[in-house]
Amino acid sequence: MAGSICALHLRRGSMKRIGFDGVFLMPAFMVFTLFLVFPVISSFYYSMTDWNGLSSSMEFIGLDNFQRMFQDKAVWSGLKNTFIIALLVTVFQNGIGLLLALGLQGTGRINRFMRVWFLFPALLSPLAIGYIWSYMYNPLFGVINSILEFIGLSDWTQDWLGDKKLAIYSVIFAIIWQWVAFSMIIYVAGLQSIPRDMYEASNIDGAGALSRFKHITFPLIAPAFTVNMVVTMIVGLKLFDIVFVMTNGGPGGATENLALMLYRQAFSLNQMGYANAIAILMFAIILIFSLIQVTLLRRREVEY
Amino acid sequence: MRVQRMFLPAVLLIWSIVVFIPFYLVVTMSLKSPMDLQFSPLSWPSSLQFANYWKAWTQANLGHSFMNSILITATSVILIVILSSMAAYPLARRTEKWSAMLYVYFLAGIMVPFQLAMIPLYKLLKALHLIGEYTGAIMIYSAMGISFAVFLYVSFFKTVPREIEESAQIDGCGPLRLFWVILFPLIKPITSTVVIINSLFIWNDFFIPMLFLQNKAMRNVPLSLFTFTSEYTNNWMLIFAAVVIGSLPLILLFILLQKHFIQGIASGAVKG
Repeated sequence: MAGSICALHLRRGSMKRIGFDGVFLMPAFMVFTLFLVFPVISSFYYSMTDWNGLSSSMEFIGLDNFQRMFQDKAVWSGLKNTFIIALLVTVFQNGIGLLLALGLQGTGRINRFMRVWFLFPALLSPLAIGYIWSYMYNPLFGVINSILEFIGLSDWTQDWLGDKKLAIYSVIFAIIWQWVAFSMIIYVAGLQSIPRDMYEASNIDGAGALSRFKHITFPLIAPAFTVNMVVTMIVGLKLFDIVFVMTNGGPGGATENLALMLYRQAFSLNQMGYANAIAILMFAIILIFSLIQVTLLRRREVEY
Repeated sequence: MRVQRMFLPAVLLIWSIVVFIPFYLVVTMSLKSPMDLQFSPLSWPSSLQFANYWKAWTQANLGHSFMNSILITATSVILIVILSSMAAYPLARRTEKWSAMLYVYFLAGIMVPFQLAMIPLYKLLKALHLIGEYTGAIMIYSAMGISFAVFLYVSFFKTVPREIEESAQIDGCGPLRLFWVILFPLIKPITSTVVIINSLFIWNDFFIPMLFLQNKAMRNVPLSLFTFTSEYTNNWMLIFAAVVIGSLPLILLFILLQKHFIQGIASGAVKG
């Protein structure tokens, strides 16, 4: 087949090869460098300026932005909220995702149908999720309160997004609602790769369901576990859109995380330099935490 | 034993209901008339107001935004596929040091949150007069998508036997033709993963359009929905009708291609 397509070309020397490597690599390299690497590197410079986004002049102010950041109470509370969101999303999305995967790991039609059904929320725009759950949580005409009233639990009705203590958990639930099936799919793929005879051997040994999970299933899905933990944590740490739509950081900053804060500093308060310093803090956190997680979890993978 | 056997089915049942209720809410609300709002939010509409969809479509200018969304998503995804697959080929094949270094260079992008590039990008696009131009958003999406796609393509190219290329080369096939005619069809599974993951993100994204495509003529579906909602606050029937319309393309695509979708997500993640 190849002969007929390529008959007119002749093989050339290695100089030519390097030229062709350039043709293959250059376009991606240029787009990637100009529109991602270059901005990322210059953000380190901007973080040391007082640029306001409007004027063309800016002054170099060294580490003043970082100093200001660590004295800023709002940043500390944003940091706390960022960690709460990332931690709870990671724990519950993986917990629920794994349970769903254990229930739906079979290849039968019902299992497949349910997996598809659970993935539907992941197809919606985070913006849509924000609107839908704002309505679900609405204290006056929302769905959750009306269900609670219907089943006679009217004492439990809440202002889910308006209450300072509750709001962040309500937002977290909406996030999990959207993304849990992603984790589920990855766990299902992990579970389906476990050889059947592993289970058969354990049946002969008379192992119970829980001990079978602990000693066979869980160690064998370690790679899926690593991926899921790292991905959900990173997503949780940099979450923006759902929070932006549902609460916009409110009430009173109770749901404001770093991503929201730096957006506001940059585009509402025109503190571009300061916002960049917060972005660098966010990046450092993501980098450190994912490195820790990968190291710890990979070590666990190797053990088995 | 009995409790254990009931536990997982119970979890599945509860979660199916939890997934169902919001979808039920959106669809029924989008068909209600304002009168129905006095009843429970989960009540069935007293009459089906299909006119809501027409109103949402025209008032949120969704027809135009659909074209924008299709244009932006398609162009970005095609660029990501072409640029990344081509770059991945020499990276997978060459054993010299520069190749390994360049591979790490591309991969580093996976770790970077968009927020870190956001503000300098704003300045850069302004300087290039690309604020409010499709090209600006498309270039950003492409740059963001390249890292992961290069990673997927490189690991796949390493599984493609060299003999295929060698025999093609003996037949006198030039590298570009070898790549597009012989290798590209072989990497289809990864291409579908790349297309699915990126379309899902780009179609639904409203952050980048909000920053860089503010003017009315350029808005994509989520951004139109966003501006429409701030103008028509609390007209939830129309908001949800617009939500249904905006979500329909991906949902239909998903139902048609669910196998590829699920495999794409699973293989994309497991290799990541």
